[in-house]
Amino acid sequence: MSGQAAPLARGRFQVSRLWADPVNLLMLILLVVLAYLVLWPFVQLVIHSFTWAEGDRRVSRDAVPGAFTWFHWLQATTGPISGKMLYGPLVNTLKTGIAATIIALLAGGVLAWCVVRSDMPGKRWLQPMLTLPYIVPSFAIALAWEAVFRSPKVGGQPGLYESFLGAAPPEWLSYGTVPISITLAMHYFPFAYLLVSGALATIDSQMEEGALIAGAGRLMILRRITFPVVAPAFAAAFILTFGKTIGQFALPFLLGAPTQFHTVATMVYANLALGLDSMAFVLAIILIAMSLVSIWMANRFVGKKSRRFETISGKGFRNRVIPLGAWKWPVFAGVALFAFTVGVLPLILLGVQSVMLIDGFYGLENLTWHFWTGTSNPDIAFGEPGVLHNSLILGAAWNTIRLAFISAVIASVVGLVIAYIVVRRDNNPLARALDQLAFIPFLFPTIAFGAMYLTLFAEPVGPIPALYGTFTLLVLISVVSRLPYSVKTGMTAVTQIGRELEEAAEVAGAGWGMRFRRIVMPLAGPGVLSGMMVSFVGVMRELSLIILLITPSTRVLMTVGFGYAEEGMTQLSNALVLIVAVLTIIGELILWWIGKGRIARLREKQT
Amino acid sequence: MAKITVRNLTKRYGDMVALDDVSLEIDSGEFLVLLGPSGCGKTTLLRCLAGLETPDEGEIRIGDDIVFSSERKIEVAPGKRGLGMVFQSYALWPHMTVRDNLKFGLDVLKIAKKPSDERLDRVLEDVGLGALGARYPSELSGGQQQRVALARLLATQPQVFLMDEPLSNLDARLRMDMRVELKRFQAETGATTVYVTHDQTEAMTMSTRVVVMKDGRILQISPPQQLYRQPESTFVADFIGMPRINLIELAADKGRATSYSNTDISIDLGWDPGLERVIVGARPEDINLSEDRAAPGEDYEVGAVLPNGPETIVQLSRGVTSVLARVGHDTSLLPGQMVRLSYRSEAINVYDARTRSLVTSPVAEVAAAS
Ligand SMILES: Nc1ncnc2c1ncn2[C@@H]1O[C@H](COP(=O)(O)OP(=O)(O)OP(=O)(O)O)[C@@H](O)[C@H]1O
Ligand SMILES: [Mg+2]
Repeated sequence: MSGQAAPLARGRFQVSRLWADPVNLLMLILLVVLAYLVLWPFVQLVIHSFTWAEGDRRVSRDAVPGAFTWFHWLQATTGPISGKMLYGPLVNTLKTGIAATIIALLAGGVLAWCVVRSDMPGKRWLQPMLTLPYIVPSFAIALAWEAVFRSPKVGGQPGLYESFLGAAPPEWLSYGTVPISITLAMHYFPFAYLLVSGALATIDSQMEEGALIAGAGRLMILRRITFPVVAPAFAAAFILTFGKTIGQFALPFLLGAPTQFHTVATMVYANLALGLDSMAFVLAIILIAMSLVSIWMANRFVGKKSRRFETISGKGFRNRVIPLGAWKWPVFAGVALFAFTVGVLPLILLGVQSVMLIDGFYGLENLTWHFWTGTSNPDIAFGEPGVLHNSLILGAAWNTIRLAFISAVIASVVGLVIAYIVVRRDNNPLARALDQLAFIPFLFPTIAFGAMYLTLFAEPVGPIPALYGTFTLLVLISVVSRLPYSVKTGMTAVTQIGRELEEAAEVAGAGWGMRFRRIVMPLAGPGVLSGMMVSFVGVMRELSLIILLITPSTRVLMTVGFGYAEEGMTQLSNALVLIVAVLTIIGELILWWIGKGRIARLREKQT
Repeated sequence: MAKITVRNLTKRYGDMVALDDVSLEIDSGEFLVLLGPSGCGKTTLLRCLAGLETPDEGEIRIGDDIVFSSERKIEVAPGKRGLGMVFQSYALWPHMTVRDNLKFGLDVLKIAKKPSDERLDRVLEDVGLGALGARYPSELSGGQQQRVALARLLATQPQVFLMDEPLSNLDARLRMDMRVELKRFQAETGATTVYVTHDQTEAMTMSTRVVVMKDGRILQISPPQQLYRQPESTFVADFIGMPRINLIELAADKGRATSYSNTDISIDLGWDPGLERVIVGARPEDINLSEDRAAPGEDYEVGAVLPNGPETIVQLSRGVTSVLARVGHDTSLLPGQMVRLSYRSEAINVYDARTRSLVTSPVAEVAAAS
């Protein structure tokens, strides 16, 4: 066997290993790029909030576009319109946010208990149904609410409520705090549900059994054992859910704007629409501050370990369930009814509405496929053709798929590379900085993030052209906003690949590129692929992130749908939102199938 | 072939010194075993040789090439050092078949398809995996996986084998078989081998020389037999051998130069180490027991009798001094019984109680010189 010996030392290099290592080079490049895409926009946002804008000439005679000023901050905090600009919306944001979070947490908590800890039947079916409202775009729920409770006092056709009861619903039920809180809660309770069930799943049932043996009653166990154990997770869930609600834009806009009910998020949009950019930026900064505070507080409750992220998923647990006895079926019926009402009914309502010729009149003669398949008819909807004939919508659909696909692929690959660097170079402070940097977009409410990119790419900077209005900008912001998630997915994947697997290849003489391609990528593949699907679905239903950056040539389904809703063309917006909802559900189903089936088997092979 | 020279190698992790000024020469074709307690730096040394860790100071040569030198700022990449490595976890790539695992290294070397295929067939056949080439690692038993790891190392025909506890995941019986095979392949290829293990038997049976390490330093480098018979310090003496060596601290008797004793016992060394206090190291098999009260030595009480297959370990005590002795399996000793015990003075080692290092007897010196 000692026939032909491998040549020794086929090449050598001088020690500047720091530079010779392509990973270090990559790390530096990524650091610079990310700093530019994440930190710099924020700096720009702050600078702009202290600068006179072009549009400010209309609000102040002193305005000198481009010069420094305290004007906007003063206006927002102490000026005569500060109540309308900041304090009113701030109160509304807190009010709706807290109310929605309480409802979401109560509903989510009870449901989580039923699913995780009780022997309620039909869990397999109910579980996915309970997460449905979080999967569909939030403003689908707002539109469904409107379909029922629309009040003609504000204009437009009557809703289901009036058609059936004959009287207009009270305004507080149609617009403002109540509907916004309820619909927000409907959208976010699955989020709270996931957080709480994750916490419940970690409970060792022996703890409870111990108390049972000690003679404690069921309620007492719940109060003295179960609840204290999940309390920190509960507090964290509360704050995280609240943090999510404050960044919501489309939903409060649709259910608030018609009656001049504004939250901070909608105020950012409204100010930008009026050309009062700097004021919008002040509000965006305040929104970011609120988000930072809430995430900081959530971290204090759950500690460092689960610093990141939304779902402490509760998969793979099997702890003892508590028999419901005679309550088994009533509980099942209650949960099923709830799941149907919040998860399926809104979609049905949208579907029904989208086939009504004149909105609000329920009867067979009023049914039409016009809004789906019709061609332009000047008598209906200002001559807008049905969604399947509408070149605008087909273009938007193409843009949507393209945007979601490209962003998901880039975000996953970049996320994997960053994750690789973070995991494998964990003793390098620059790698840790990269980790932190990639996490920052998670802290920005999406509408504020959009506002940042508005300022950053309005004009060319050095070699970077003005990207405003381009498709590239949409890809860029979508990728960056997905990075916190894709890095996390990548880290999970890379951590599972033993270091020695790579070292074995290194000893065999494979360079970094080859190792990444032939060892890391195939092994991280399954995890990264499902992460890619999550991003795909996420980008597809994204609205507030990109609404500020969209121009007619870069429209996507969500923004077109939002546009129709803004203009009162309900059937069309319903049809569109329904399309997006169905697409995202299909995406989730594929994801579920990947997770359960093929990829899981592949994973098995690898361990 | 490939001789390996390590000079003044130091590796630090923060404040912690994992390798402390280690120097070592490994002859071509040698089977060198690194042995030592957990955390002593065995893996670190091996990884430095492989190029997977960058030492802070020192120099490493493999064959005629300097593969690392802190002074001359040379560092050759692992893949270019002409070595192969077997990891403790085997590090088989789970997404590749057995054959592809082997082929990877050949791809890197850009070996043409035909010779590559031939070599793979031969290596797979050699390690007895001929029929399993298409399997994935997860579809193999632990022993088979170990063979794949070995085959992967053989496939690229390196001149240096590095192995980090390659057999530690196998059960005892399989481990025995694999020792023989490993040794066979090493002999056939003539590759210089550096082998890390926790297992003393493995070290003793396979090595040409053993390196004992502690706290990042090399304590002793010796052929296995010498390591066992003449440990150069009480630490090595204590570390090597099962059951462990008897180490007894004694003081010089007044008037009789070769006689040393403590409150309980007295030993005549037969030569004069010229020290006030010594530690005597006596292997359990270097103790003679006799039921004949007239035999030379002193009386000890039998504490415990522990039969262990072909031998029996007997624990004995005199006052507070307690020793272990190894006797045949057919012993008739019973606990509580008194026996006559003497030390085979020519076999026991004497250590300076202050420095804890070996004091060589003139007899041994003469023996070593001849
Ligand atoms: N990457 C690292 N960072 C910090 N310290 C390390 C690192 N790798 C090893 N060490 C330390 O260096 C020392 C030597 O470690 P090494 O792995 O070489 O020990 P070992 O002799 O192989 O031990 P074992 O027999 O348990 O495998 C240990 O104290 C260990 O904690
Ligand atoms: Mg080790």
